[in-house]
Amino acid sequence: MRLLLVEDDELLGAGIEDTLTRARYTVDWVRSGPHALAALEHGGFDAVVLDLGLPGLDGLEVLRRARAAGCATPVLILSARDAVAQRVAGLDAGADDYLVKPFDVEELLARVRVLQRRVRGGAHNVLQHGDLRLDAAALSVTHEGRPVVLQRREFMLLQKLLAAPGQVLTRAQLEESLYGWDGSVESNALDVHVHNLRKKLYPGVIRTVRGVGYVADPAA
Amino acid sequence: MIVLLAVLGAAAWIGFEGSQDEADELFDARLATSARVLAALIATQPRPPAGPPLVVSFPAPLEAAAHDEAGPFGHHYETKIAFQALDSQGRVLMRSASAPQTPYAPLTPGFSMQRDWRVFTLRSGELWVQAAERDEVRDELSVKLAWAAVAPLIAGIPLLLLLIGLLVRYGLAPLAELARRIERRQPGSLAPIALARSTAEIEPVLAALNGLLERVQSAIARERRFTADAAHELRTPLAALKVHAQNAARAATEAERRASLERMMAGLERSIRLVEQMLALSRAAARAPAADPVSLRQVVEDALDDVLPALKERGVKMSVVSEPAMAELVVSGDRDKLTCLARNLLDNAARYAPPGSNVQVGLAERAGAKTLTVTDQGPGIPPELRERVFESYYRIPGSAGEGSGLGLAIVRAIAAQHSATVQLGEGDRGRGTRISVSFPAAPAA
Repeated sequence: MRLLLVEDDELLGAGIEDTLTRARYTVDWVRSGPHALAALEHGGFDAVVLDLGLPGLDGLEVLRRARAAGCATPVLILSARDAVAQRVAGLDAGADDYLVKPFDVEELLARVRVLQRRVRGGAHNVLQHGDLRLDAAALSVTHEGRPVVLQRREFMLLQKLLAAPGQVLTRAQLEESLYGWDGSVESNALDVHVHNLRKKLYPGVIRTVRGVGYVADPAA
Repeated sequence: MIVLLAVLGAAAWIGFEGSQDEADELFDARLATSARVLAALIATQPRPPAGPPLVVSFPAPLEAAAHDEAGPFGHHYETKIAFQALDSQGRVLMRSASAPQTPYAPLTPGFSMQRDWRVFTLRSGELWVQAAERDEVRDELSVKLAWAAVAPLIAGIPLLLLLIGLLVRYGLAPLAELARRIERRQPGSLAPIALARSTAEIEPVLAALNGLLERVQSAIARERRFTADAAHELRTPLAALKVHAQNAARAATEAERRASLERMMAGLERSIRLVEQMLALSRAAARAPAADPVSLRQVVEDALDDVLPALKERGVKMSVVSEPAMAELVVSGDRDKLTCLARNLLDNAARYAPPGSNVQVGLAERAGAKTLTVTDQGPGIPPELRERVFESYYRIPGSAGEGSGLGLAIVRAIAAQHSATVQLGEGDRGRGTRISVSFPAAPAA
């Protein structure tokens, strides 16, 4: 899962980034309105955590413009503006949720999971794939009832593929989802993760589509 | 009222006495005139032969015995005048019927009192004339006259008192209204007081009172704004602290935990600094500064000590140039506050100057005016923002560092208290920022 974090306060941004990264999200962090808008135009995010008081362009305006441009990525507003009218304005501008600062990181994570579920159209945090079960809240994976220990990126890759069963995802999509804009990705890193997953779970969990990418076939 | 009554009473008494005296004078004058007319008349008469004196009867109203009622031929203020004409031996030659057969008084010219009579004695050659009037009649008349003079005054006193009372009440009505309005006021209300009718006397009181209310109101508004702003400004650093604390608590590894705790410490430092700056601003705005002699050079040196760690950390050099060299540049003010001012200026420069650059601190005196100048080679401040940066909590969007947005607000508040002006401009060759604080020449003692 790849998230866009928009926060101009260095210290708070660093904290949220830590929280999200440790919960096995890929986080791209921008610090101004114009940068946020550019990132949203580029796309590729599963959800956005958006601060409102931004330099250059207010968060609400960023949201309005992105929605007007057809961006459908779920957005969670994170703001110190706590008045009812301000929360209503945020939701009406196109936000899916609104969280007032200061907040609990547990609640932030829970709300981000809600955004994920909404994208999938599901109502819970568990992805079931045959005997394979991935719990996004507990960050746990079980196969045939037996817990499987996965590395952070392995978990993220599995989650990404299981969220869209039967849909072939390109290498670029998967790499961006795993690493964000971090350019220092080894060319075979993705293949290593896939290899590990097949070893830890079962070989057929991920199918290679030559020259394109990978797919998790719908469970029989 | 009692004083007024006493004064009016005294005035009435004096008027009464005065009138009575005047009436007495008038009667005396009339008596004298009568005597002279008689003397003149007798002189034209042939001298009567010796024998019993000639007795002249006056018409009834003029008789000394007559009552003082107005008759058809006179006035009821006519008095009973009697007379005698005597020779130099005191023999009565002629007398009015009401006069006695012996002289009224010894033959001495002038007025005298003889028993119940007021007598005027006149000498006209051989002849002496004595005109006399009954004293009690005179008294009665003079009292009547005096009463006539004083009566309107006495009758006027209650009227006057009533009128004065009403006027005073009317004149003081705005004062009474003011007292009523202050009494009925809600404790929290600081709106100016308006009176239905105001007078020239109460206007300055009202203006002073409303001026005070206005100052109190603006002071309270400032405090409220400060509290509201402070709450808002503290929210973000507190939110950051909470996130880092929870991250540390939830950390899966020791490395994660340590990283979160370190960030939390940084957040704490920043929050502490923010609160300190808030207090500095609040203090700067609250009290008038002391008026001690303070050396600007000393102030700059103290401030330099405070920002030294920040300078080292960012690799920024700072040099102090004073003109004339080593001058103390003494200004009148509060040393702590001026040090706070200098510290904020130097701290801003240390924060925003690029690493490795040089910050110049200038101290100069020209025509008695002393100026502290700080010039950095940082990004500079766009002209359209040079006023806004002095506002509390305003930070230029996207600016680096973790400033509180209060530094320049503090500088301005302290400068204003020292009658100093703050100017913000460009550094050398249009680059960086130059900020100068000018203290006016001290007024000649």
